[in-house]
Amino acid sequence: MAGGISFRRGPMVDMPLLLAVVAILTLGLVNLYSATSVYIDDESRARLADIYVTQIYWIVVGALLAILVAAIDYRHYERLAPVLYTGGMVSLGLVFILGRDIRGSSRWIQLGSFAFQPSEFMKIFLILMVAKFVHNDSRTEPRSLVDLTPIAALILLPVVAVMAQPDLGTSLIYLLTALSMVAMMRIRAFSVLSLVGTGAVSLPLAWMYVMKEYQKHRITSFLNPEADKTGTGWHALQSQTAIGNGQLTGEGFMQGTQNQFGFLPEQYSDFPFAVFSEDWGFLGAVFLIGLYAFICLWAIHIASQAKDRFGAALAVGVGAMLFWHAVFNIGMATGVLPVVGITLPLFSYGGSSVLTMLMGLGLLMNVSMRR
Amino acid sequence: MLVQRSDVGEFRRRYRWLVLVAIAAFGTLIGRLGQLQLVEGDLHRAQARRNIVRERSLATTRGVIRDAFGRVLAANRPSYSVHITPSAIDLETTWPRVMKVVPLDELDRAAIEKKIAEIKALPKDDKRRGQQILLKTDVDRDVVAFLETHEKELDGVEVTPTPVRYYPYGELGAHAVGYMQEVDAEALERLDERGYRAGDHIGAIGIERRWESYLRGQRGWRKIVRGVTRRESTAEIDAKYLEEPRRLEPIPGRDISLTMDIDLVSSIDKGMRGQLAGAVVVVDVRTGRLLAALSKPSFDPNVVSGGNGTKAVRDAFRRLNTDPLKPTMDKTISAAYPPGSTYKPFTALAALADRVTDPDREVDCHGGFEYGKRFFRCTGVHRKVNLHSAIVQSCNTYFYELGSRLSIDRLAAIGLDFGFGVKTGIGVNPEARGRMPTRSWYTRRYKEAFRGGFTLLSAIGQGATTVSVLQLALSYAALANGGTLYQPQVVRSIETSDGTVVQDFPPRVRRMVELDQDHLALVKSALAGVVSEKNGTAYKERIPGLDLAGKTGTAQVSHVTPRGVDPDKTWYFNRDHAWFAGYAPSTSPEIAIVVIIEHGGGGGKNAAPVAMRVVRDWEKLKEKRVSAQVPAHPPGKRGSL
Repeated sequence: MAGGISFRRGPMVDMPLLLAVVAILTLGLVNLYSATSVYIDDESRARLADIYVTQIYWIVVGALLAILVAAIDYRHYERLAPVLYTGGMVSLGLVFILGRDIRGSSRWIQLGSFAFQPSEFMKIFLILMVAKFVHNDSRTEPRSLVDLTPIAALILLPVVAVMAQPDLGTSLIYLLTALSMVAMMRIRAFSVLSLVGTGAVSLPLAWMYVMKEYQKHRITSFLNPEADKTGTGWHALQSQTAIGNGQLTGEGFMQGTQNQFGFLPEQYSDFPFAVFSEDWGFLGAVFLIGLYAFICLWAIHIASQAKDRFGAALAVGVGAMLFWHAVFNIGMATGVLPVVGITLPLFSYGGSSVLTMLMGLGLLMNVSMRR
Repeated sequence: MLVQRSDVGEFRRRYRWLVLVAIAAFGTLIGRLGQLQLVEGDLHRAQARRNIVRERSLATTRGVIRDAFGRVLAANRPSYSVHITPSAIDLETTWPRVMKVVPLDELDRAAIEKKIAEIKALPKDDKRRGQQILLKTDVDRDVVAFLETHEKELDGVEVTPTPVRYYPYGELGAHAVGYMQEVDAEALERLDERGYRAGDHIGAIGIERRWESYLRGQRGWRKIVRGVTRRESTAEIDAKYLEEPRRLEPIPGRDISLTMDIDLVSSIDKGMRGQLAGAVVVVDVRTGRLLAALSKPSFDPNVVSGGNGTKAVRDAFRRLNTDPLKPTMDKTISAAYPPGSTYKPFTALAALADRVTDPDREVDCHGGFEYGKRFFRCTGVHRKVNLHSAIVQSCNTYFYELGSRLSIDRLAAIGLDFGFGVKTGIGVNPEARGRMPTRSWYTRRYKEAFRGGFTLLSAIGQGATTVSVLQLALSYAALANGGTLYQPQVVRSIETSDGTVVQDFPPRVRRMVELDQDHLALVKSALAGVVSEKNGTAYKERIPGLDLAGKTGTAQVSHVTPRGVDPDKTWYFNRDHAWFAGYAPSTSPEIAIVVIIEHGGGGGKNAAPVAMRVVRDWEKLKEKRVSAQVPAHPPGKRGSL
């Protein structure tokens, strides 16, 4: 800041970002109501018809957290990052000890009457940690593999821990989000090539030794959904039918037959996009995708205006997290990507997910307000 | 201490790429949406509708089979079957209760429990979870009442009305009418395109089988909205998602009126009461219509039609199929027997036509006929016999002698003229063709020089000659009516369920047999003599005042006792078949009748009395109907007697 007199404006709320987030949250709630209205008359599952109320609670809590996160200058988080990261890793470790088994994988920790997913919050901690690394490594010449070894280790640690739960979707999000951030730095061409090469070699190895049967099954059924009419392939097909059934203008709110007559699996957690597209059609779906695209592009805009590397990396990290979530979730609902349990940010039902996303957006807001 | 401002310049070049990647990715997703929702939208909408619209079939009713006087021979009886929806069944509470009221035998129960477990193990959203399986058919009234009053507590158990085929006359005419069987998995593959489903029944034999396509009717359907979760379908929902037409009414099967008179079948049954096995056929000599047919032993189609549960049916078939008297075989049509002396009139007609004999020429019977190095035995010593007395007394010697004057091919030819050796085309059950052996047949069969002795055996209806009971009845009808060989008929007309005639079958002539009427008159007077003359072979069994003509027969059986089987146990199967073939009244014939008692011994003593009794009953029935003015069932009108 040049000049003797500085007039410091107070931090300004980023209105476009706020509006977009509120719009998605609103649509998400409306859609959650439609998705679970299926259960209104179903005695054994009537509880599910009311989860939109729970979702409102989570959004309120998440919004308060986001305000808190945004209020404190983001540069303080740089020092906190290692502590948070370590805490996150410890809680991931705890999952293995205390974890509740849901469908063959332990992802949850029970705290009183709450069950929360440490792997969700770890997303934020990882973003902070990577941002700190990027920030501190202010070299201008391209980096070699040796230079990247520490950050690679920091990224792979949670990736492996989550994959062991096993939760392929979340570990994929960790990896892609962190890599998106690392990619902001200049890296030697040779290093990039050898990384890609390593990936190409390790994928088949992962297929053979690391991945569980059901994970492989999801990928094979993605490649050939017709062969698997009952499992995940069936889910994917029903989701595509629902989306296609929406046509241009949709069947109308709470009118989508695929959802209303119970053909959509996991319609409030993994496939809310199918419910939305069936109710509101191509126009509604494009509008929603537009909102996600706007936030992602806006995050890049915020990053480009950040006054330091930490802020820029944070903005890119949060944007990447949202981006990969949205792309993977919509991709699997439309059948262009395999079914991995990745939520649609601010749209899917789930406390941990809502809190994580809102905290992330709090960080983004933070950077935006202090550029 | 806040972090130092750092160099963000390094990132600058990356932002453009990030924007590009984001736009490309979201652009791709929008493109995919366009493909799914705009380009393929109609396809997906159609699939979404197919998901929720189910076609439920509406059962049809099978046509009724009636006799010539409108009496019901096969109809549908209301009955109830129990279905279960395995996914909804509680194995702890509901299932034991159901098993208590609907007892199944161990095998059936185990199979069904296995199936329930299989279906319960399917994923929650699998469509097959909605599947129903049949537990039991034709359950008792009180079981139905129990299940209906406890409907609320017994989730997944459903009682559905399913009509069961019912045969009021039971064993009477069972072979001709037939019975029903469940379509098995193998047949289902074949019948699938004709609309048969698992659990359907199909005619197994007789009219039920041959006229299946008429009797069956056509299933209807109605569309309903049914999802995985929402099970109630409201008028509003129906109106929104169901396209017209929403319903196709089932078409009931056609009713079939037979030419048979069940009263006459009943009197045949009484006449045959003392006999173990045999067959009787009565045809109308003026039309060729089958008036009565009975094959003994018979079976109860109600038992084998699957109306009483699978185990009962299995047991019934085990019994029927192991019975050496072959109750499942229709002996009127599906079996061929040596005709024995009943064939002599045809030998006589051939000889007269070829002028190889004079009716008055006498042959001296001293107990047999010497031919080549063999002696062909007669049944007795008849002394001097001419054509007339040879038929009346059934002298074999006379006919051996005629045979020696004829060729075997000539004997076969006249047989073929009268319809032997070929299927009659009655279309009820599989037909035995019978056999009219020719010289070439013997050559092919025995691969050695043809012997003249074969011709002699053919002349008395033995040797390799075989005929079916129906063939013999039709040929005697042709003798009776002056030489018209009719196409036999058993179906009189086809009607809709409300009585409108769809198709009527007038009599059809198969062939006019070329005959000299004088020759026929000679033979017919001899056939009358068999019953009316003192030395006639059926004279002893005659019923005074009963006017009928006919011929007895005692056909030798060449039963081979399998090695190692005690002959004491098979003596029955070595006994001769007893025949009587004839027509009544003898002067202006109306019916022809053939009786065979399998292994019954002498024809005069055993078969003739049955024929006499049946003809007497037929006359009584005729009188009764004339006095009560009951017309034969006119097509299209529902009569009752």
